[in-house]
Amino acid sequence: MKRKPYLSGVILAVIILCCLLANVLAPFESSQMDTAAVSMAPGGGHIFGTDAMGRDLFSMLLYGGRASIYIGLMAAAVSAVIAVVYGAVSGMAGRIADSLMMGFAELVMSVPAILLILFLQAIWGNPSATSIALSIGLTGWMNMAKVVRSEVRQIGKSDYILAARTMGADFGYVLKKHLLPNFISSIMYMVVTAIGQAMITESTLSFLGLGLSLTTVSWGSLMSMSESVLLSNCWWLIVIPGTILVITLVCITQLGEYIRRGNNRLHSNL
Amino acid sequence: MNETWKKRIKYAAAMLIRMAVLMTLLSIIIFVIADKCPGDPLRSYYGDGAERLSIEERQAAEARLGLDQPLPVRYGRWVKNFVKGDLGLSYKYKQPVSEVIGRMWQNTLALGGLAYVLTFGFAVWLGKFCALHEDGVADRVICKIGVISSNIPAFFMALLLILIFSVNLRILPAGGAYSYGMSGSLADRLYHMVLPVTVLVLEHLWYYAYMIRNKLVEETRQDYVLLCKAEGMSRKAIISKSCMRNILPSLLVMMAISVPHILGGTYVVETVFSYPGLGTLSFESAMYKDYNMLMALCMITGLAVLVFNMMAKVINEFIDPRMQYEKTAEEVAGYEA
Repeated sequence: MKRKPYLSGVILAVIILCCLLANVLAPFESSQMDTAAVSMAPGGGHIFGTDAMGRDLFSMLLYGGRASIYIGLMAAAVSAVIAVVYGAVSGMAGRIADSLMMGFAELVMSVPAILLILFLQAIWGNPSATSIALSIGLTGWMNMAKVVRSEVRQIGKSDYILAARTMGADFGYVLKKHLLPNFISSIMYMVVTAIGQAMITESTLSFLGLGLSLTTVSWGSLMSMSESVLLSNCWWLIVIPGTILVITLVCITQLGEYIRRGNNRLHSNL
Repeated sequence: MNETWKKRIKYAAAMLIRMAVLMTLLSIIIFVIADKCPGDPLRSYYGDGAERLSIEERQAAEARLGLDQPLPVRYGRWVKNFVKGDLGLSYKYKQPVSEVIGRMWQNTLALGGLAYVLTFGFAVWLGKFCALHEDGVADRVICKIGVISSNIPAFFMALLLILIFSVNLRILPAGGAYSYGMSGSLADRLYHMVLPVTVLVLEHLWYYAYMIRNKLVEETRQDYVLLCKAEGMSRKAIISKSCMRNILPSLLVMMAISVPHILGGTYVVETVFSYPGLGTLSFESAMYKDYNMLMALCMITGLAVLVFNMMAKVINEFIDPRMQYEKTAEEVAGYEA
C-alpha cells in the first residue's frame, strides 16, 4: 500500500510559504540590530530569541529560508539538466565514447568536492546564492548521469527509437519525446533527494567558511555560528535553525520516497 | 594456458590501462585547478610573514620553491619526482609530504575503518530486523528515526554532540586524537574516537540499512520463500539463510563502493573535531595551496575511488559473468545518491 505523505507535504508547503512571505511575516528586518536585546533567549518580543548582535532569529530564519530553498532547487535543477543530457548522450553513443564519458564522470567524482567547489567559487568571485547553487549543482550530477545512462542504454536500442531516427528525428527530439518520458520516473527520486543534499552541502560550506558572504543569511550560515554558541551557550542559535532545516529535509525525503516506491507491491510471502 | 585465462589477463590489463589513464588525467586536472585557486602558497610556508616580504625576497622564495616556473614545467617536475617516489615538500609543515601523511594516515584509517565496520554491522542487523517486521510498528519507528538521523548534516550533529557531551556533561573530549603525552595509549585513542565515530555511523547507517531492508523485502516476494515456509523453516531462518544469501552479491558491491564514501565522510567530521587525519590535511592544503600535499592527497583519494569501483565491478562479473562490459557496478547494486 502506498500512503500519500500528506503531513510532509503540508509542513513543507507551510515552510515554503512562510519564507516566500518573509517580508510580510517577519517582525523585524533580518539585518536590524536591537542593541537592547543581545543574545536573548526565546520568548518575549523575539519568538526565537536574538543573536549576539541583537538580530531577531525568527526574521533571519524566514529570510534565510529563501536562500536555502533557492540554493536547493537551483542546484538540483542544474544537476538534473547536466545529468539528463550527459547520461543520454553517453547512453546513445558507441562503446568507446560511452566508456570515455563514464570514465570522465568517475574522474570528476574522485576529485574531492571541496576542492572543486573552492575552484568554482574562485571563478565566480564574490559568493552569491546563485554561484553557490551552481557550484553545488556542477559537482553533484555524476550519480544521476550514471542512472540516466543505464536507462537509456536499455531503451535506446528499441525499434521505435530507430523508427524515429530513420524518419529524421534529431537527438533533441528523441531525448524529449522518447527517452525522457521513459527514465524520468527513475531519476525523479534522485532529483528530489538532490534538493535536500544541496541544502546540506550549503550548510556544510557555510560551516567551513566557504559559503555565502556574511551579509546574506541562510539556514546554513545561521547554523554555523558555532563559536558564539560554544562560548556563550546560546543553544537556540544553532538548535532552532538546525531543527527547521532537518524538518524540511525530512519532508523532502518523504516526498522523494513516495515518488520512488512502486505502487501495488505484491504481498510478502514471509 | 587456456582461453579463459588469456581473456582474463587481457581484461585485467585493459582495466589497469584505463586506471592509469584516468589517474594521469586526474593529476593534470588537480594540478591546473590548484594553480587557478585563490590563495598564496608562500603564505602557507611563511605564515602571516608572507605579507611582509619585500618583492625581491618574495621572488627569491618563489624561485627556491620552484613556483616561478610555468605550469607545464612544474607539472613535469612533479611527475618526474612522483615516479621516483618523491612527493615533494609540504609548504605548511616544512617536511616531506610522505612523512606528514605517514604520521596521519593511521588516524584516518582507524576512524574510517571503525566507522565502516560498525556501519555495516549495524546496517545488516537493522535491515534484517526491519524486513522481518515489515510495516510493523518497530519497522515504521526505525524508518522514521533513520530518515531523521541521516538528514542531520554531519557537522551539525557533531556540534550538538560536542555541546552535549563535552561542553555540558564534560564526559567526552571535544577533539583531537589523543590527550597530551598519551599518543601510545590505545584506550585513550578509542576514548577520543567515540564522538567522531558516532557521527560517522549515524550519518551513513540508515542509507545502507534501508537499502538492505528494501532488498530483503523485495526478496520475500519470491516464490522460494513460500517453499521454505512449507518446509517448516522459521521466518528468521528464511531471512538470514536464504534471502540474505541472495542479496549478498549486491551487498558486497555496495560495501566496495561505499569505502570511498565513508572515507570521504571522515573529512568533515575530522575538521569539526580537529582530529589529525587526512581529512583535516586535505582541507588545510586546499585552503592554503599546499600544492605538493594537495596533489598527494588527491592521488590517494582518487586511487581509492577508482580501485574500489573496479573491485565492485570485478565482484559483480565474478558472480554473474553476464554483467561483463554491460553494466557498471553501481547499477547492479541499485546504488543511488
